[in-house]
Amino acid sequence: MAIQRMTWFNRASPALVEILNKLDRSETPTDVDQDIYEHGSVRYHVQASASDPQIVYLSISTPPLSPEASLSPGLPECTMRDIKSTYSDYAEIVEPPRTGFLLTLRLNFAKISHRKEKRVKAIAEISSLLAVIMTSQLKDMLWSLGSKDMDYGTYKPVKLVYHPREPFFVFRLPEKITVIFPMRFKEDSDVVLATSFFQELMDAGCSAACAKAPRCIWSPIPPPELRGEAFQHLATNGGFVSFEILPQHVKGARADKAIWILLNFDAYVKYHVKCTRGFIQRKLRHRMESLAAVLRNARVGKTQDAKKVPSSSCVNKLKTLSKSMALKRKYATLVSNSIKRIHSRIRIKGLDRFRRRWFKIPKFNSLRKYTKLE
Amino acid sequence: MANALRLYLKCIRNTLEAAMCLQNFPCQEVERHNKPEVELKTSPELLLNPVLICRNEAEKCLIETSINSIRISMKVKQADELENILAKKFLRFLSMRAEAFQVLRRKPVQGYDISFLITNYHCEDMHKHKLIDFIVQFMQDIDKEINELKLSVNTRGRLVATEFLKQFV
Repeated sequence: MAIQRMTWFNRASPALVEILNKLDRSETPTDVDQDIYEHGSVRYHVQASASDPQIVYLSISTPPLSPEASLSPGLPECTMRDIKSTYSDYAEIVEPPRTGFLLTLRLNFAKISHRKEKRVKAIAEISSLLAVIMTSQLKDMLWSLGSKDMDYGTYKPVKLVYHPREPFFVFRLPEKITVIFPMRFKEDSDVVLATSFFQELMDAGCSAACAKAPRCIWSPIPPPELRGEAFQHLATNGGFVSFEILPQHVKGARADKAIWILLNFDAYVKYHVKCTRGFIQRKLRHRMESLAAVLRNARVGKTQDAKKVPSSSCVNKLKTLSKSMALKRKYATLVSNSIKRIHSRIRIKGLDRFRRRWFKIPKFNSLRKYTKLE
Repeated sequence: MANALRLYLKCIRNTLEAAMCLQNFPCQEVERHNKPEVELKTSPELLLNPVLICRNEAEKCLIETSINSIRISMKVKQADELENILAKKFLRFLSMRAEAFQVLRRKPVQGYDISFLITNYHCEDMHKHKLIDFIVQFMQDIDKEINELKLSVNTRGRLVATEFLKQFV
């Protein structure tokens, strides 16, 4: 099922987890100087030296979540505070960061507990550095921008860019935050599949199981909150999905999780559409097989027996073969192989070459053929 | 099966049984060639009147008959956008694999979703009644498949949506 395979929606970056695990488990210390790119705009740099294998330098560079709201070039103060508190046990922030990066962490693997589970957990936590930065930035932005707007008595949506070509908007009111996703798809069939998913999302939101989840609204036209925004942001083919986030959804530890889910909503929908396309394709292939079998049976001289119909799957063949038959066949092949071995010529190394050289049969021109006269 | 669909399919079956009396007939235009007259349409005397069987405006079946070949074109029901996409996907999928069905035409006749071309050679190679069974079963299956696919896509969507929203709780 698609839900179980969505491991890449985890906070931890899979590539970073792999590299850090390799560094942690390697028995012979090696020099590592590696760049990793993610989502086209996030860049990591991992550096470790063979002389001191316990120390690893991890640098990250990511574009600002909201180019309009961010004023200073570096990370905001609250994000630095969050990073310090999260990684205080085994990492420290290096000042100034590596050139071209926003942040550099000095990881000390010696400070991580030697128990395997704890080490795995710590590495997963380090690999979720991007998630920590993003959620912290978004939290700070929402809180500060909301208070600024409230001072002036006006509310303006904030444009956020997590995936480069898929911006979304956050609109804050005193009692709730509305997150609006303009949805764009490349193919018409994707639009239809996504639209049916959005309708299910709206229906599921009304069910008792998801009564405490944020209210979800899908509309093919831009919602009134986005009035006055640039036309390029309002031109979509998949409509607009809005989530109404109430204070209870972002209370305490839930805030980080809720923000991470919302940041990945667009990728979640696209992944669902892709899986649905694959599901349809599988079903069609199965149906085609059964239809082709009907036509194969229609041939003159073919019996109705379904077992005689050649099937593409090997599993069916195995199913029909009984255990005794399989044993018999196996025994027969073994015996025939050994007989073949007995009857085969004895090979002497180098004899072929000798035979070719000394027992060469001279070539004769065929009588039927004629040779061209010069 | 719904009564209306049964009648529609029965009508198609009867028409096909009547129309499928094909014989070998060499081309009158090109010597030593044997071409399906229903495709060429060069000699009107070799063509029969086409029969159009309609269940409703969206579902119809055109049966064109000639002396050595018969062409069956179908229009499949597409009630909404999702059904339209699913039908298109399914029929495109089949057309791309037309070699698996000897009688399937790679390109449907204009105004229809899928077409079959049966020649006298097919009738010699296959049992006539089984060929008719195939056409009728195909029509039945395509409706059933599209309905099932629509249901499964919606059920999948609902499951995924519920799982997504449950993450907030």
